[in-house]
Amino acid sequence: MKKKVKMPKENKRIITVLVALCSLLISLVIYISYFQVFKAESIKENSYNKRLWINEENVLRGSILDRNGKVISYSEKEDDKNIRYYPYGRLYSHIIGYSYRQYGKSGLEKEYNNELLDINETNALTEIKNLVLPKSVGNDLKLTIDHSVQEKSQSLLKGKKGSIITMNPKTGEVYSMVSMPDFDSANLDSEWKGIIESSESPLLNRSIQGLYEPGSIFKVITSVAMLETYGIDKNYLCKGKTTVEGYTFKDYGNGVHGKLDLKGGFKNSCNPYFVEKSLMIGKEKLGEVADKFMINKNIAFDLDVKKSKFDYKKAMGKTKIAASSIGQGDVLVTPLNMAMMVSAIANGGEMVKPILVKDVINKNGQTIKTNSTEILSQVSNNDAVEEVKEMMREVVVSGTGKNASIKNVKVSGKTGTAENASGKSHSWFIGFAPYDDPKLAIVVLLEEEGTTGGKGAAPIARDMLIHGLNNISFAEEKIDN
Amino acid sequence: MLLTGRIKNNVPRRLLFIFEFLALFLLLIYEAKVPDLKTVLNALALLVIVYLSNLILIKVSSGDNYIFQIATMLVSIGAIMIYRMDPSIGTKQLAWFTVGILCFYMTYFLLKHIRIWDKITYIYIAMSYILFALTFVLGERKYGAINWIEIKGVSIQPGEIIKILLIFIIAGFYSNYEKYKRKKQLSYILIGIIYSFIGLLFLQKDLGMALMFYSIFISLQYIYEDDRKLILYNIGLFIFSAILGYFLFSHVRIRVETWLNPWRFINDKGYQITQSLFAIAEGGFFGKGLGLGYPHFIPLPYNDFIFSAIVEEMGIFTGIGIIMLFLILFYRGFKIGMNQENKFYKILALGISVLFAVQAFIIIGGVIKLIPLTGITLPFVSYGGSSLITSFIALGILQVASEDLESRMKIDEEES
Repeated sequence: MKKKVKMPKENKRIITVLVALCSLLISLVIYISYFQVFKAESIKENSYNKRLWINEENVLRGSILDRNGKVISYSEKEDDKNIRYYPYGRLYSHIIGYSYRQYGKSGLEKEYNNELLDINETNALTEIKNLVLPKSVGNDLKLTIDHSVQEKSQSLLKGKKGSIITMNPKTGEVYSMVSMPDFDSANLDSEWKGIIESSESPLLNRSIQGLYEPGSIFKVITSVAMLETYGIDKNYLCKGKTTVEGYTFKDYGNGVHGKLDLKGGFKNSCNPYFVEKSLMIGKEKLGEVADKFMINKNIAFDLDVKKSKFDYKKAMGKTKIAASSIGQGDVLVTPLNMAMMVSAIANGGEMVKPILVKDVINKNGQTIKTNSTEILSQVSNNDAVEEVKEMMREVVVSGTGKNASIKNVKVSGKTGTAENASGKSHSWFIGFAPYDDPKLAIVVLLEEEGTTGGKGAAPIARDMLIHGLNNISFAEEKIDN
Repeated sequence: MLLTGRIKNNVPRRLLFIFEFLALFLLLIYEAKVPDLKTVLNALALLVIVYLSNLILIKVSSGDNYIFQIATMLVSIGAIMIYRMDPSIGTKQLAWFTVGILCFYMTYFLLKHIRIWDKITYIYIAMSYILFALTFVLGERKYGAINWIEIKGVSIQPGEIIKILLIFIIAGFYSNYEKYKRKKQLSYILIGIIYSFIGLLFLQKDLGMALMFYSIFISLQYIYEDDRKLILYNIGLFIFSAILGYFLFSHVRIRVETWLNPWRFINDKGYQITQSLFAIAEGGFFGKGLGLGYPHFIPLPYNDFIFSAIVEEMGIFTGIGIIMLFLILFYRGFKIGMNQENKFYKILALGISVLFAVQAFIIIGGVIKLIPLTGITLPFVSYGGSSLITSFIALGILQVASEDLESRMKIDEEES
């Protein structure tokens, strides 16, 4: 009798323990699946994973070439060890990056690791193929970079902080991309400690990872928005300043411009003009146009690009809208995005995808992958774009960008002087040339330079344009047209 | 009924064979050269051992036929992986497997035909302390823990034997519970004895084993202790000693730190666990393929980290398969326990099932970083005589418990 009363209680407890321990074992299954789906990919990339270097030892890493076939990085076998060479050290620190066992990988060495080592997605067939035919040489990368333009960019930016990008506004090919301060890819062992401890963040690729206040170059977007909005009075009387809800906006140099239309406001970069007009445009329209210029959007590129920001969807006071219209306030952009913006204006409103790696070429010289021109966005209608293009020409002819003018080439552009938290303004210039058939678009950013765009960035842009137009062979592109 | 039962019985056995055949075939061809005679012989040996031992069991035992098949499946996965990493160690593992099966049958017959096991609890306790004493006197420090003793060139791990004794002690106590209950303090004495074991394991730095002892104890105590407040005391005491241990012993702190963030210590303390995670991550769902991974990058790939090595080459699906095999083994063990009328064997069955489940959880959870890593072996899968033999002894006990012992005893009594 007694036993019969006890049994159910005992069994109940047994089942409790059964369920508890089964749950423990099931939790293993859940965790390991979670690990595989969400964590495994990033863990595999860790440079302490010796498996990453197995290929490194067996396969000779491919070379990297500039657009004219000049070798700018290569590997050689020495005493059974593969050694990577970076003959131009600092010149490509942010493009090629580095591949070191101790410090991991960055730049194209990281993003194109599989191509450089000729690693395919593994499946049974390729595994068997690899066993039978051992690979020894990886693929080469042919870049769109022009070595001499890259060198010129570096020399013009030396000793400063910032970024220079030149690209073809029609094809998206990037001719040069320099970020300062840089580091020496060839000498990481001796420099690493200094690089890590530096407050200037030399590892940061400012061209694509740096977010900056654009200042007046953002007026390109504001102007497009204004031209797209029907019924805005384009005339304005500039008295040197204007006040929005108690906050006073004026120009960097405290100038008084008098009677202005849009062309005059743009070429003189008149802040009160755009501040007043932005309140008529409204944040929705401004934001919509900004989105078309790929602000707030992920930009697909051969390297990882940060998203430019203009968060117009949140509640904004009039002061904030006004400040944003002149590239202050809540707007932050990457130099690459600005290069794409000016390219779109030069290219009749079609914004093309920037390209850094043109071809992937296997050891037999066959091209196995090509990046071709892609249109990302139609930024506006033809009329608005043409008008902004003309205004940009005026900037260089008789406005704030006179320092960028070249004697026998028509240059267009826009200057920007962006106030920021450091107290020293960023100096910007964006532009393109020649005006009638744009071949080269440029962005120059001098970080915390403390001068205006016209004084700091424009002369550098001028030297770059002269060098680029004289040295790049644009032949290929002409055949395309 | 009988016929269909037989046919169903054959299905898992055939699946086991298909797995073994395919894996061994891969093992033979992966190096893309002529298979050597030794590997062929070893492969044949494995097939014969597994086939024969399963066949004999059906003839001998009227109990559960599945648990032994599950165990042989687990040993097969482990042995094939070990052989692929190092043929000479793999051959040894095969020898240990044979010894393990002999121990299984020995245990089975001893427990079935001799019936004094529930009456000698004091001897189990005495033996346990003697083994602990031996470990401290003759012990060798291996992988940071002093839990091995070497006698005439053979390393044995006394903790492995004590964990079986522990189950016998608890079973002996609770099967005579009605008798002991009159002396109230006896339950406290049991707690005292088991905590002294746990304390000794702690001093040997064998944290995984300590955790396992505790898990077995708390599970059985939860089921059988009538004085329910003791269970709360037990949990409270465990939490207290865990916290105390954390602050007192640096080796406990290291386990926790490397669990929370192993990447900070990737060069030293966190090396093992991070290498294990690399292997698992590389394996993916289907694995790199037998012979195509790099299990040698993992420290102790034969013992504690065998699971990671298997996952790298055979994939997470095989890993999940192993976990599921333990789940079924555990579930069947509990079912055996619930059906067993004899209380002593009932508790033994439950205790051994908990042992398999918890040991698998602690080491698999450890190598995948779900819980802090404490080094113990994966039953049946890991390399090593001590581990394999005790696992098979435990399985032998479970096999006995799966039979209808009460009615048999009655027959015995009537006959005599």
